[in-house]
Amino acid sequence: MLIPCPHCGTRPVEEFTFLGDASVTRPTTNDPSSMEQWYDYVYLRNNPRGRFDEYAHHSGGCRSWLVVTRNTETHEVYGAVTARDYTRAKGARA
Amino acid sequence: MSSYRLDKGGLIDRTTELSFSFDGKPFTGHAGDTLASALMANGMTLMGRSFKYHRPRGVITAGAAEPNALVELREGGRKEANTRATMIELYDGLTARSQNRWPSLNFDVGAVTSLASSIFVAGFYYKTFMWPKSFWEKIYEPLIRRAAGLGTASRLPDPDKYEKAYAHCDLLVIGSGPAGLMAALAAARSGQRVVLADEGARLGGSLLHEREEIDGKSGLDWAAGVLAELASLPTVTLMPRTTVMGWFDGNIFGAVERVNDHVAVPDPYEPRQRYWRIIAKRAVLAAGAEERPVAFGGNDVPGVMLASAMRSYANRYGVAAGRSVAVFANNDSAYRTARDLKAQGVHVEVIVDSRMDASADSAGVPVIRGQQVTDVSGRKGVTGIELSNGTHIDCEALAMSGGWSPIVNLACHRGQKPHWDKSLLAFLPPDNGPGFTVAGSAAGKMLLSECLADGAAKGAAGGKPVAVPNCRDEGFAIAPLWWVKESHGKAFIDYQNDATAKDLPLAAREGYRDVELAKRYTTTGMATDQGKLGNINAIAILAEATGRSMDEVGTTTFRPFYTPVSFGAFAGPFTGHHFQPVRKTPLHEWAEEQGAVFVETGLWMRSSWFPQDGEDWLASASREVLATRNGVGICDVSTLGKIDVQGKDAGAFLDKLYCNTFSTLAVGKARYGLMLREDGIVYDDGTTSRLADDHYVMTTTTANAAKVMAQMEFAHQALFPELDVTYVSVTEQWAQMAVAGPKSRATLQKIVDGLELNDQTAPYMAALEITVMGGVPARLFRLSFSGEHAYELAVPADYGNMVARAVCQAGEEFGIVPYGVEALSIMRIEKGHVAGGELNGTTTAGDLGLGKMVSAKKDFIGRMMAQREGLMDPNRQCVVGIRPVDPTDRIRSGAHLLKRDDTPSMANDQGYVTSVAWSPMLDMWIGLALLANGRARHGEVVQVWDGLRGARVMGEICDPMHFDKENKRLHA
Amino acid sequence: MLNSPEKILPRVSPLRDIAIQGRFGASRTAPGVTFTVRHPLSIISVIARAGQGSATAAALKGYNAQWAGPDQYFVLAENLGEGALYRDLKAKLAGVASVTDQSHGRVVIRMSGPRARAVLAKGTPVDLHPDQFPVGKSALTQMAHVGVHLTRAADDAYDLSVFRGFSESFWEWMTEQAEEYGYQVI
Repeated sequence: MLIPCPHCGTRPVEEFTFLGDASVTRPTTNDPSSMEQWYDYVYLRNNPRGRFDEYAHHSGGCRSWLVVTRNTETHEVYGAVTARDYTRAKGARA
Repeated sequence: MSSYRLDKGGLIDRTTELSFSFDGKPFTGHAGDTLASALMANGMTLMGRSFKYHRPRGVITAGAAEPNALVELREGGRKEANTRATMIELYDGLTARSQNRWPSLNFDVGAVTSLASSIFVAGFYYKTFMWPKSFWEKIYEPLIRRAAGLGTASRLPDPDKYEKAYAHCDLLVIGSGPAGLMAALAAARSGQRVVLADEGARLGGSLLHEREEIDGKSGLDWAAGVLAELASLPTVTLMPRTTVMGWFDGNIFGAVERVNDHVAVPDPYEPRQRYWRIIAKRAVLAAGAEERPVAFGGNDVPGVMLASAMRSYANRYGVAAGRSVAVFANNDSAYRTARDLKAQGVHVEVIVDSRMDASADSAGVPVIRGQQVTDVSGRKGVTGIELSNGTHIDCEALAMSGGWSPIVNLACHRGQKPHWDKSLLAFLPPDNGPGFTVAGSAAGKMLLSECLADGAAKGAAGGKPVAVPNCRDEGFAIAPLWWVKESHGKAFIDYQNDATAKDLPLAAREGYRDVELAKRYTTTGMATDQGKLGNINAIAILAEATGRSMDEVGTTTFRPFYTPVSFGAFAGPFTGHHFQPVRKTPLHEWAEEQGAVFVETGLWMRSSWFPQDGEDWLASASREVLATRNGVGICDVSTLGKIDVQGKDAGAFLDKLYCNTFSTLAVGKARYGLMLREDGIVYDDGTTSRLADDHYVMTTTTANAAKVMAQMEFAHQALFPELDVTYVSVTEQWAQMAVAGPKSRATLQKIVDGLELNDQTAPYMAALEITVMGGVPARLFRLSFSGEHAYELAVPADYGNMVARAVCQAGEEFGIVPYGVEALSIMRIEKGHVAGGELNGTTTAGDLGLGKMVSAKKDFIGRMMAQREGLMDPNRQCVVGIRPVDPTDRIRSGAHLLKRDDTPSMANDQGYVTSVAWSPMLDMWIGLALLANGRARHGEVVQVWDGLRGARVMGEICDPMHFDKENKRLHA
Repeated sequence: MLNSPEKILPRVSPLRDIAIQGRFGASRTAPGVTFTVRHPLSIISVIARAGQGSATAAALKGYNAQWAGPDQYFVLAENLGEGALYRDLKAKLAGVASVTDQSHGRVVIRMSGPRARAVLAKGTPVDLHPDQFPVGKSALTQMAHVGVHLTRAADDAYDLSVFRGFSESFWEWMTEQAEEYGYQVI
């Protein structure tokens, strides 16, 4: 599998370390009433069939955290953005 | 037997004689021969015994699909089992042995299994050896393993080298026959980067063994012209002897180049094989088509082979399969075979064509139409054939053809299924989009002109077209024929696994109708050839037996690898001392001078202890501890992870990473920090120092250095991208040494430039940027892991060994000793400092007695989940000290703690010992342990039960700090 | 004197006793590869602060700055004296970029010759075709499990920068890959 790193160009998957579902968002509150949100954030991960946004660390390259979008069924990779941009875009949507 | 070498023809060099041996007997052949062709030329048609029935077998093919002629190649550590004689290039000095026979190939005792063959039907493994159960391991399995089997592996290490490499191209062409050459040419002429790979020793594919004309030249000359043009282009890489064996995600192809399999001993500087990962923008599969056998009685007798193989042996190798041969086919392949053989001087007795209406040119060979070969006579070699009308015809060999199967394997490696074409009687490859196309006969183009045009079109792929050369086509007409049911003898489908045509209807009757189940029940397609020859026949018979179409039955799953790949190729160079890289500290040379014994810690080599005069590890480590606590010691701590953190928000970032606060740390000071995981469990610890307002240097444990760095990168980039902070590993920039003991200050004072070390200039937890030895930049931290008055001194790595030597010289008058990680560990256990055994992925800050460090004033990773009820439970196991009640007893790490009077059982488990050490200060074994509600139980006597080693002693729970509880020495 | 300690203590390369000069491997032809350990070098890591990417790039004009990640560089110079380049850049980039001295932490091996690219292909998945990886371009990659900062120094010359602790192991592996082409160490 090839991952299009926005910084390094296309590299094989062996250079990357995956961390799973990137759609989760770290809660911004430490209020005790937010515990449910924290449980979801820490433990609940989607595992969809089809299109999936996934954290990937380019640990064997530029060491950037990316969000790779791929199809879990066909292994087609649609693209990759930096986790920084992904998080900012998520924040803008929220 | 006399020679079967023909007088003329072939791509062999008749002037070169190569000697080789088979089963210990000497033979000769020529350069350009394969082992199979050379054996045939010597009259050796018997090359192996079959897997189950031990039937005599000869070659069926002239290529990669060969199921029968499997031999053990080479000797000693270079021995390789199950190699296909049809693919082994002959070289001088080659040695090979037949397999699966005893005592000899010609007389094989195992062949009696053939007489009892009624029990060896489909599913016999499941039916026969069921009971009694106790017989399985001792009797059945060894029996089966001895009787059924292939070659044996060498137990010696492989002396040869293997390599891995990457290649990149615009177009990868797999196969160098007519379609492959045209595809490569079309792309290469438009300037694309082309890799042309072929499993054969020589490029040219079918043109090497067929008599065809292209552009008014022989196919061979035409191919030579194309190859010369390709070779002249710098953008083209030609890769003969390279099997593309798998298609993987991202259009990455796995390929094995047999760099030196064709010589007896590889050049010492060259690999035997090289494993390639080819990253291709596009690929064209031009692997050709495989001719199929027909299932009839005795279709495995040595001398029965595929028609194209017989042509290949005659045309390419100048070898006759027999003095007089017969041809049996359901398609036009029969006629070109007869013509080619005749042209090469082989007598062709008859063509038996199963069709009534065939009308190709037989070159005067008699044709019997509408008949089938029911049985072959002869056992170790063909003596004749029987037809369905009862006619017997004498012959020495039989060429057969049941049609052609496009080699679609690679096109299906990513899960796609081929589809059946009723007119071609072939499974055609699936549509995989423009990145992977299939050309030529692999795509069902059965005529040469179609192959050339298709290759040109697929190679150009809409780009600049290339002129397609002229040629004359052989006919292609076919009528279905899979199994001659009137046969008396065994009609084989899968030669290598001895699966017969009858096995498939039987499997269907017994309920194994699904093609994947039928495969496993009958073992059809499960041998090293993975059903390359037999699978389509099997599917056809299964379809007929179950009243389904070919598409309804479908193929079994095509998986990598196309042909077997050696373990050596996969391992590549990463064996022995290259299995993983070794990481050495900047003080390695100094430690070697001091006589260090090294220990692998992750990839690092760390000095473990420094024995003197035959000391064992314990004596050495104990001496190192005493010398350090009584004077001064020096220890290499360069392996600690060191991360340079800078930026306006550096403090704020550290506050997010650690459960305690760093933004308030004063410049010039260090602070111990504890890092949690987001689930509230402790992740790592270490000290972080502030060198300037916007500049910190943090340390991690040796083991977690890389993980902590990745966690920081995640935290910043994915969680807190708004923070203005940078971080970079400086672990390797600094040689760092701990200098510990009451004389540490006096020792260091001698090398420090212009600074009087005292409690004002360098107080406990100071972090100073200084110089030593007249100008070497250094960082001096007053930190202590040992509990002694101690420092850590860091200098740029290239100076490390010299500075360490200078420290040793300075400390000489105080009896300075180097100490290793063993002594370090003893001293930290004496002081109750937690380390890997306690930071074990289950413990919270509270469990470690560090609950007070956890800030309630800020957000940090792990804050919320650390507050969960289960993690705050006072009955959780927490860190305690433990020592034996009888000081002569030994406590061992991993032992469990039980209440004094409880029965030893895991049901009564209260905790376990996490770290132990022999304390030279206390003269006994001491330890740290995790114990339920442990802090309230100091003074309690417990059982220390080591069920694994069968030991039980009594221990007393105590404060984790076994030694110098008031920390007097730290501040001395 | 205080600013140039190498006059007092010479910097010692971790490959001092490993990278022995001479001719090794196959000897049928002229050596396909030449190795040189570039030591001592000044190697400074420069990482732009938030929003300062272009300012950092601009400030590094005139330096031998090699790309080393997003808004990150290694600035290299033949040894200018201990800490000299570091201090220079730290002053120049104050508030714009983080500057960290890595001169001792990394070892740079120059590999050149007609077969240098073939040797690299045994380790890195980076496409080294000149159209893709021209002179002056750098890549971060892994070879033989070791992180490598790879720079094309000339048509057939490459700099491989690795963590010092791995340098010996990496050297042994890489020179072994060059054996078939014959190599020299100078």
